[in-house]
Amino acid sequence: MFSSIEDVIEQFAKFNYIASRRIATVIYLASALKKPVLVEGPAGVGKTDLGKVLADVVSNPLIRLQCYEGLDESKALYEWEYAKQLLYTQILKDKIGEVLHGARGLAQAVERIASEDEVFFSDKFILPRPLLRAIRSEQPCVLLIDEIDKADAEFEAFLLELLSDFQVTVPELGTLKAHHLPLVILTSNNAREMSDALKRRCLHLYIDFPDKEQELRIIRTKIPDVSDKLAEQVVNVIHALRKLDLKKIPGISESLDWVKALTLLNVKTLDETLVNETLDTIMKYEGDVRKAQEELKDYVEKSRARRGGGTAIPGGSSDKDFLN
Amino acid sequence: MEEKLVEFANLLRQNGLRVSVAEVLDAFAASDLTGLGERDIFRSALRSTMVKRANEVPIFDELFDLYFSGLGEVIKQAGQGVQDALSMSDEEFQQFLEQMKEMLEKHGKELSELAKALLNNNNGQLEKMLQQAARDARLGNIERTIEESYFARALARELGLDRLERELEEFRDQLDKSQHGARARMEEFLQRRLQALQDIIRRYVRIEREKRDLKTRESDRLQQLSEKSFLYLTPQEIEKMNEAIARLAQRLKNIISVRKRLAKKGRFDIKKTLRTNLVYGGVPFKLRFDRRKKEKPQVVILCDVSDSVRNVSRFMLQFVYSLQDLYSKVRSFIFVAEIGEITEHFRDNDIKDALDIALRGDLINVYAHSNFGYAFRTFVQDFIGAVNKKTTVIVLGDGRNNYNLPHDWCLREIKGRAKQLIWLNPESKNTWGFGDSEMERYGPHCDMVEECRNLNQLYHVIDRLVPR
Repeated sequence: MFSSIEDVIEQFAKFNYIASRRIATVIYLASALKKPVLVEGPAGVGKTDLGKVLADVVSNPLIRLQCYEGLDESKALYEWEYAKQLLYTQILKDKIGEVLHGARGLAQAVERIASEDEVFFSDKFILPRPLLRAIRSEQPCVLLIDEIDKADAEFEAFLLELLSDFQVTVPELGTLKAHHLPLVILTSNNAREMSDALKRRCLHLYIDFPDKEQELRIIRTKIPDVSDKLAEQVVNVIHALRKLDLKKIPGISESLDWVKALTLLNVKTLDETLVNETLDTIMKYEGDVRKAQEELKDYVEKSRARRGGGTAIPGGSSDKDFLN
Repeated sequence: MEEKLVEFANLLRQNGLRVSVAEVLDAFAASDLTGLGERDIFRSALRSTMVKRANEVPIFDELFDLYFSGLGEVIKQAGQGVQDALSMSDEEFQQFLEQMKEMLEKHGKELSELAKALLNNNNGQLEKMLQQAARDARLGNIERTIEESYFARALARELGLDRLERELEEFRDQLDKSQHGARARMEEFLQRRLQALQDIIRRYVRIEREKRDLKTRESDRLQQLSEKSFLYLTPQEIEKMNEAIARLAQRLKNIISVRKRLAKKGRFDIKKTLRTNLVYGGVPFKLRFDRRKKEKPQVVILCDVSDSVRNVSRFMLQFVYSLQDLYSKVRSFIFVAEIGEITEHFRDNDIKDALDIALRGDLINVYAHSNFGYAFRTFVQDFIGAVNKKTTVIVLGDGRNNYNLPHDWCLREIKGRAKQLIWLNPESKNTWGFGDSEMERYGPHCDMVEECRNLNQLYHVIDRLVPR
């Protein structure tokens, strides 16, 4: 699938995903060893994106299972369509009458019905959910199990069989084995610690916030028409903000949103008022906004002092051309 | 290589990481794929297969550095050190080494392997010999700092350091006869190289010791911390404590979510059952039950924040507020002599800031002498409305009243209105009632009086506040 780690980086880059060497190494290992990957890290660093892009890169369909509290087998694996079964028995009443025709006694009737019962527990009446779809998929696929930490501990235990053997047992149909081993990506926001058993079966990848250089590259690839200066300023500000003790630290997705918003406003360089006005795009709590504003004041003053009189983040309306 | 990986896995285990055999096998497969060529990639391969917790990554990184390059790096640094001491550029040093090589071929035929490796700057060879000597000296058994000098001597002996010294001495004498120009420099080189080797030995021993020592530094630390009395915490430990509290709080949350799920179902719910089973034509395939409603407790905390118990109050508040969603309402008050409510600080700020604000002294005079009686009386006068049948009242204080009026009737009043009244005392039990301690007066009015001197005791108390 991938010939080397460099190959992974290159192919991901084609789909606008800047993979660090560490990420690339883990993806390479996962595809070579056929092991699931458990991705952890703060919100908004591209964990889910990794799965999506991986599907694009290997040009296989993506099957996504979003986890939530109370998710169970019938939502994740399969369910019998009772309603459909019921409907069919109603419609097929005559046929059933035919089958039962001439049967003597209850025992014989049950016998005859029993010999036909696989009709009702067949593929026609099974409602495959994401996990079963991944296993029965005719072509190789990428299975993304998103936010596994939101699901209950029981569900995690249920996943173990699937992750180690890629097979599931449906009592009426027997054991189903995957035609192709899917590439599995699990993401977790660390709302709770995953069990050791699950971790043991997975490769572990921790994605942290990228360094300035890398974030700059990400922004430039995702939003090509951003001006260099703006991108750099945004990255500087975001990195300064990440050092603060915030409730929700802005991730890469927030910096991308911000840059998008700013380019939409046709801004070429940042200034203080502009930052304050658009801060809502990256800060999700009122308290955070206040903290950020204080910090930014310092930051602006400092960078002004450093560059000798306001070239870093120039004030005044001459530098922005809002509505041209 | 596999041997080395197994040893590394053992080292990780010694340092408190859980590495299973299956994971070691994965590491084999992964390192086969990536090869050892690039250090960072090799490191990521091992990390993704063997380390599954983000908080263990720093330990892994440290051990990886110690294990996979510790010695090589030290030897390289030592070589650089010699070059710097002789104040030569890279080029000059290279030339000098060539000269040295010629010299060795002329005069040093009968020198030992060690001397040759040392003088030729053959780092690989030197590393191998050091490792062999380390095995012979059983360096792997080192555990404590005091053993360092012993093992350093043992290593030197196995390496044959005294013979080396003699050899270098003889070699220097030969130098005297042959060359004159570069003689001084050669002599200095010999001297420095020998010193460097001794230095390498010392640092090698230290690295080995550190490998085995990490665990006492990190993993046992939090454990010990939760047993340690609040009174004796150092500022660094208080920092660490925050982490420990966060972990315990998370654990408690997990336990509680399991308890909730295991909680008995309520009564049969006809309405819900009919609605669910409409899909099956009204045949009740799936039964539905009421969820018995769990009453979330309300908590009122009265914290003594006089100097002697401030730390405990801080942790208590921090703990309770990290579990805030488990309670329907938390109100907190602090007192020394005056009493004041700090609930809203917690609403607007995060826990740490709120505590700092609360303890800064704007609200009440935190430098007064403790007066429990006065504080309780004020509470009953001004805030008794906060207490109702669902409320658990927690008083945290040492009960040292400076011989003021105890006003213990206030506690009776509070108890009469509250669901329960709990007193937590950070002093050890056998000092209660002595001196100005009023515990014997206050105690009888409480449903529960507990000693609460360390994090574990605190944890148990808070555990009991949560409904089962």
